Formats: sequence, structure tokens, C-alpha cells
Amino acid sequence: MQLRTKRTVIGLLGLLFMLSLVLVQALEVAHRREQAGLAAAHVIVPASSQSCVTCHGQPQQSPGIVDHWEDSTHAQKGVGCVDCHRADPDDVDAFTHYDAVIATVVTPLDCSRCHPKEYQEFEGSHHAKGGNILASLDNFLAEEVEGFRADEGGRHFFNPHSPTPGRPEIDEVNGMASAFVGCQQCHGSKVGLLATDGTAITVDDLKPDESGKPTNLAVLDKLEKDEDGRPKFHPGTWPNTGIGRINLDGSLGSCSACHSRHDFSPRRARQPENCGKCHLGPDHPQKEIYEESKHGVAFRDLKEHMNLDAENWVLGQDYTQAPTCATCHMSAHSRQGTPTVTHDAGQRISWSNRPPVSAWLDTDAEGKIVTETDPDVRRELVVHTAEQKRMNMKQVCLHCHTNDYVNSFYKQYDDFVVLYNEKFAKPGQAIMAELGKQELITSTQFDEEIEWTWFYLWHHEGRRARHGASMMAPDYSHWHGMYEVAERFYIELIPQAREIAAHAAKEGKQEQADAVNAVIDEILARPEHAWRKPEEAADEE
Amino acid sequence: MNGVRNWIQERIPVSGVELAEVTNEPVPNHLRRWWFCLGGTPAYLFVVQIVTGILLAVYYQPSPETAYESVRRITEEVNYGWYIRSVHKWAATLMIASVILHQMRVYFTGAYRRPREINWMIGMCLLLCTLLIGFTGYSLVFEQLSYWGATVAANICDMIPFVGRLAKQLLLAGDEYNENTVPRFYILHAAILPATMILLLVVHIALIRMHGVSELKFEDETDDGPGHYDFFPDHFYTELIIGLVLMILLSVLATVFPAIMGPRADPLTTPEVIKPEWFFYATFRWLKLFSGTFAVLSMGFIVFVMFTWPFIDTLLRRVTRIEEISVWIGIVGVFLLVALTTWEALVPH
Repeated sequence: MQLRTKRTVIGLLGLLFMLSLVLVQALEVAHRREQAGLAAAHVIVPASSQSCVTCHGQPQQSPGIVDHWEDSTHAQKGVGCVDCHRADPDDVDAFTHYDAVIATVVTPLDCSRCHPKEYQEFEGSHHAKGGNILASLDNFLAEEVEGFRADEGGRHFFNPHSPTPGRPEIDEVNGMASAFVGCQQCHGSKVGLLATDGTAITVDDLKPDESGKPTNLAVLDKLEKDEDGRPKFHPGTWPNTGIGRINLDGSLGSCSACHSRHDFSPRRARQPENCGKCHLGPDHPQKEIYEESKHGVAFRDLKEHMNLDAENWVLGQDYTQAPTCATCHMSAHSRQGTPTVTHDAGQRISWSNRPPVSAWLDTDAEGKIVTETDPDVRRELVVHTAEQKRMNMKQVCLHCHTNDYVNSFYKQYDDFVVLYNEKFAKPGQAIMAELGKQELITSTQFDEEIEWTWFYLWHHEGRRARHGASMMAPDYSHWHGMYEVAERFYIELIPQAREIAAHAAKEGKQEQADAVNAVIDEILARPEHAWRKPEEAADEE
Repeated sequence: MNGVRNWIQERIPVSGVELAEVTNEPVPNHLRRWWFCLGGTPAYLFVVQIVTGILLAVYYQPSPETAYESVRRITEEVNYGWYIRSVHKWAATLMIASVILHQMRVYFTGAYRRPREINWMIGMCLLLCTLLIGFTGYSLVFEQLSYWGATVAANICDMIPFVGRLAKQLLLAGDEYNENTVPRFYILHAAILPATMILLLVVHIALIRMHGVSELKFEDETDDGPGHYDFFPDHFYTELIIGLVLMILLSVLATVFPAIMGPRADPLTTPEVIKPEWFFYATFRWLKLFSGTFAVLSMGFIVFVMFTWPFIDTLLRRVTRIEEISVWIGIVGVFLLVALTTWEALVPH
């Protein structure tokens, strides 16, 4: 072989080798940029979902959900539409859509196929039980006081008293609309399929087994379906991404409440705005309280440095600039032996500030607060101690604060909560209980002024004060909190209770009036109320 | 001036004429063609690596707790740190590529044949050292992929019969990745391997000087005129031009595609896909094609064949009586290398 030929061989092979290296380096650089979050990640569309992506991606379809999915970790890992939406033909909400058996609602039970740990944690959490509000005072307020609950065969209709100009067809609306668009969009409710008689078929009717399959098959004959055989949802129960949603398969909750569909963004779930969908407003302004705190101020300033796209987002490793809601209540941190996020947001909370009187969060095997006072019985009942939950939280605090600082904070917090409980909450509760016991108020809630007064005191102002103290927000603790609690207690609750007693005395119910006054007198005689001048107390009489 | 020159001459008794004689190796005419100068390219890049490596070592902290953070600091905070690190990274890539191109040139021109068999084997040692220094350097960043790449490499070593376990322990400084592994990689990368390579390079160049550069004569070249030209300044300028072009290329690559930080190593989370650096793609693909011990042994056999190729070539030519059999085998080998590397790169991450 001539040297010139060899030179050509060397040249061609060298060129081929260099071209392959250019290709390899280009792919390598692209991959590294994806890894570092500097470029959109590579999307893998599984074969089973190819037609979904193609069809729904068209402008006249729903390109938004495809775009969102393409930005998700699911898309990078080849988890497609059918992987989450797939259903068994036995599922009550299953239908055939272009040869694929799918369901519209993806429940936590569906997510548990790939995320069993997260499912178990979440199902045990207080979040998952958010739907329990359905039997609470708040729900009575929304359903009956604000709305109209005409329980006629499951239909809660409300007939307008006058026509709506331009909408003559509106002759009946859902009387529970306030509860549905308000309470239930955060707390969740029972998702229902539409029955042929217009009522909702829920988990109560279906009685699903552990795998989520309905056991009461008789009810399936009542399902209202469209021309394609797709079960229709009851419009009063869907759409619904409330965190305590009660699903048709019996599972609790909605993963998309925090991990918005269809991008399922961990980044978004790590930011306080995400929690702020529900944790805000006059009765539990955690979002506003956080924003007022130094933690919130630091977050706004340093958000861009907080590595929010990190895979595991470990406090102390991936970031330290500021904590968000997720940081303190859920996220992994470097003081854990194995940094692990929890999907039970209650594992680090030691006081429940939700009820009128704050409760120390010793909980039993089912996660219920143990109210037993006998120490021995209590010890047997308590499975998860509030002290342990507080220790869990302290481990987070200690990333930036000293032991002394953290312990002193908790001392201040405990003092504040107990002061509120003992000075205002328990006395208020005792006065309201005595009024009820003496039958000086009706058993119906919110039909008397004092019931609204009491509700404002603990449900709005009392919670604001306690939540403010829990998150180091001084203005909420004081001016939006204890100041208003005190004003409501002294200027409204006590005078209104005295007035009810006075009316009762005039109506000949002296004994009942005396009983109420005795409770009030006993409370006001306590040293913490002695600041009031005797003449003021006399005026009140 | 003469006084100064005399003062120096008296204390360092080497004359300019003697120095010129020592350095002015006659250079064969074929080296006027730049593509025959690839031997100097990896040597030049090796110097770049030493200089940038020393600068990086000023800030790098070799322990699992501090390695990633110190590299991040170099990349994001230290003045010109990103540039030095990027040049170091791209020079490593070009160095490996130029070593392979140099070896291809030597192979296809038969420059390894008698009496240069030993120097070919030294070149093979330099190739393996270059790959190993690239591997250890990649692992020093303590990124997720480099961590898991090292773990997989160690597990592959473990598959070698008899000595596998020892090789794995030597590499990881224990049975598993531990707190001594990063320091072990660092010592290999910054001390043992560079020192070894310098020694090998000295012997490599000394042997070239002793044997002389293998002379290649093109068919249209006549015997008239000198067959050689001076190293200095003629060939020196050629090498200088290549060096400057390389420096420009490195600067462009470092600026346009700077070295970035991947996620920090997480021993508890195995990545979906583990890939080594590109220069091991062909090996990695080969290991994926075959199972376990066979893959490792066959890879070892290929390396052995490459090492002893000058002798195998002689034997093959004698048995087959095909003078250029090595060229045809080489073409197949290069196609295989390119195909396996590209294949592995194209597999979805």
C-alpha cells in the first residue's frame, strides 16, 4: 500500500473519529445542561401515550396539559398519560378512550403504584383527613347559614326568588354552592358520579374494597353516562383538588393539591405560594404570617439561590438561605441520618391551634389527639408524642439557630398558647357551655349574636394569634391576634353573656341567669382579669 | 552584556552550540505535513493540564464532604475559576482525542515495527494512564454521575478473576466508596499518574531520539535534496502554531461550553441511567453487549492484543503473507470504536 493511500486512510478515519467525537460531545454537553437545569430536559413519550400527546397537543385540543407534562420529571423518565390515567375495567369511573381503558381522576391510590412510601405517609396525615370538615361547624356555616341545604333525595337545590336578566333558564341552582366552591376546594369532599336521578354516587354508595373496586355493584346501574359510555361526574363534586378529597376508590386526598397537574412540580410544592392557596385569610393566615416573619422576608430576597430544582432539596446541603412551609414541616434536612422528606405534614407540629382551645398533639394509633388526663391511661394511649414531634421540628431549626435560641422560642410559644387557652379560650368555652346548659341559647349554631362573637374570638382572632406566635410574626400575634381576642372577650362576649342572663332574669329564669353570672364572675375574679377597675365591672353588671 | 553572559557561562558550563546540537534533532521531511505532528499535541495539552491542574489544586479540597462544594466555589466564586476549570476539562477531552489520533497515525504507518516495539508499548502505557487520569479527574467533582460512574467502574473491576477484588479495593480505598475514596482518586490524579506519565514520556521521547523518527517517504518525493530539516526553528514553529491554535480552540470551547455543575453525589439515590465519561463509552457499550466476566475478560484480551500488537503483526504478516493486514484490521478497529462510542452516546439518557 502506497504511503499516499495510507495518508488518505488515516485522514478519513481521523475525520470520522473527530466527527463522532463532535457528535458525542454535543450530546454530552446537552445532557450536562439538562442535568444542571440549564436546558429543557429530554422528553420520553412512551408508546402507550404517543397518541394522547399527539392528539391533545393540537391547538384545538388541550395543548396546555401536554406542555405542562413535557416540563415534568415524569416526561423525562418516560412516565406517560396512560401510566397515571390507566384504569381497570372494574373501576367505577373507567371508560374506553381510543382503545385505552382510563379514568379521569387520578387518585393517591393510583399514584401509589410508583410512590408507595409517599402514599402511606400522606394517608396517615391530617391533610388527608381534611374532608372531615364535612361534619364540622365551618361546614354548617357554609352549607346552611351561607347557603341552602334542601336535602331532597340528595339534591340540594335552591330556587331563585326572581329571574336573572339574560339567564331565564336559571330556575334552580345548587344550594350548597358556597360550600362546594369554598370549603371543599381546599378541604376536599366526596367525589361523586352523576346518577340517573341527578344525585351523586360516592364512596358511601360504592363501598370499595382495599384495591378500590366497588363492592356494591347494584349502584352501578344508576350511573349516568355520555354517548361514549363515559361516566359523568356530579358537577357539585367535581372539579375538586381539595387536599382531603374522598375518592371513589376510597383513598383520601389529592396529590395534585400540592403537585399541580400535569407538571407535578416539586419546585412549586416547595414554595409558600403553593400552601397559600388554602392557608391564608382571616381564620388561618399562615401565608401572610410567614410573609411577615423574617423567614418569609429572607425567602423573598434569596429565593433564586435556594436551589429549588434540586432533586432531593435537603436543607443544609442544597440550601440554607431561608425555610419555606415545606422546609419546616416536610422536607429533608441534613441532620437526619438519611435525609428524607415526609408527606405527613404533622410529624413536626406539637400544638394543634385549630380548635378553640389549643391541644398538645399527643396522638393515638389512629392519629387522633389524646384528651385523657389520667397520666397512666394517657401513657398507654399515646403512640406519637408531641414532644417527639417538637424534637423533629427542632432538628430543622438547629440548622440556623442555637439550642438556646430554639428552646427559648418554644418557651415563648408555649407561654403564649397557654396564656390564650387559660385567659380567654377556656373561659369563653365555659361561658358558652353554661349558656347552652341553662338553655339560654338555642342548640342551633349561629342564630344568636353571641355565637358569632365566640366564633370570631377563637376561629379567627384566636387562631391568628396562635399561628402568629408559632411562626414568629409579632404583628399577627398581637394586633391581629391577642389584641382582638381581648377586645372581643371584654367588649363583646362578656357583655353579651351578661345581657342574655339579664334578659333571662327578667323573664323569670333567675336561677339560670345566676348560674351564668356565677361562671362569669368566677372567671373575672381571677388575677389575670383584675386589671379592670371595679366600676367598669359594675357598669357591665 | 558580555560580562553577564560570561558570568552565567562560568556557572552553567553549557555553550549555545552544544545546546543547539542536543536539541536540533534532524526532522524527517514528512513532518512538514501538520497531520504528522499529532505526537506533540498531547504533550502540549499535558503541559496545559499540569498548569491548570496546579491552579485548580489551590482551591480544591479532596474529601467527600468538601469536594463538590470546593468545585462549585471554583466554578462560581473564584476569579477565573470557571475558565481554568473549563480549559482543564476541554484539554482533557482534546488530549485523549489527540492521543488516539496519534496512535492511529503510528499504527497505520507501521511506525511501531522493529525496532520500535518497546516504544509502542510505552505509548500504550501512556494511553492507559491518560484514560485513568481522565477517569480519576472526573470522579473528583463528586457529582451524582461521577460518583455512580466510579462505583460502577469499581464493580466492573471486581469481575476480573483473581485480582478483581484487589483492583476494586485499590481503586476505592476499601470495599465500598468511603471517605478515603476521593483522596485516593486525588492522589492518583494529581501525583501518581502525572509522575508516571512524565517518566514514561521521558523514556518515550528518549527512545524516539535514539531510534530517530520513523521516516516516511511519499511516492512523488525524489531522493534529491536533504531528507531532513532542522528542529529549530522550522519544526518548532510548526509545533508553536499548533499550540496556539489549540489554545484558541480551548478558550473558545471553555467560553462557549463552560464546565457546569451536575447534582451533588447522593449515595442513596441511584440515577436512572449511569454513564461514564465519553472516552469510556465504547468500553461501556461493549460491557453492556456481553455479560459479566466474559465482557471484562474480552476487554482485557483486546487491551493485551493492542499492547503486543507489534509482535502479533509480525506473526500475522508471516502467516498470512499479507503485508498490509494490520491496515485492514485497523480500519475495522476504528469503525468499531466509532460505532460503539456513538451508539452509547445516542442511547437516551
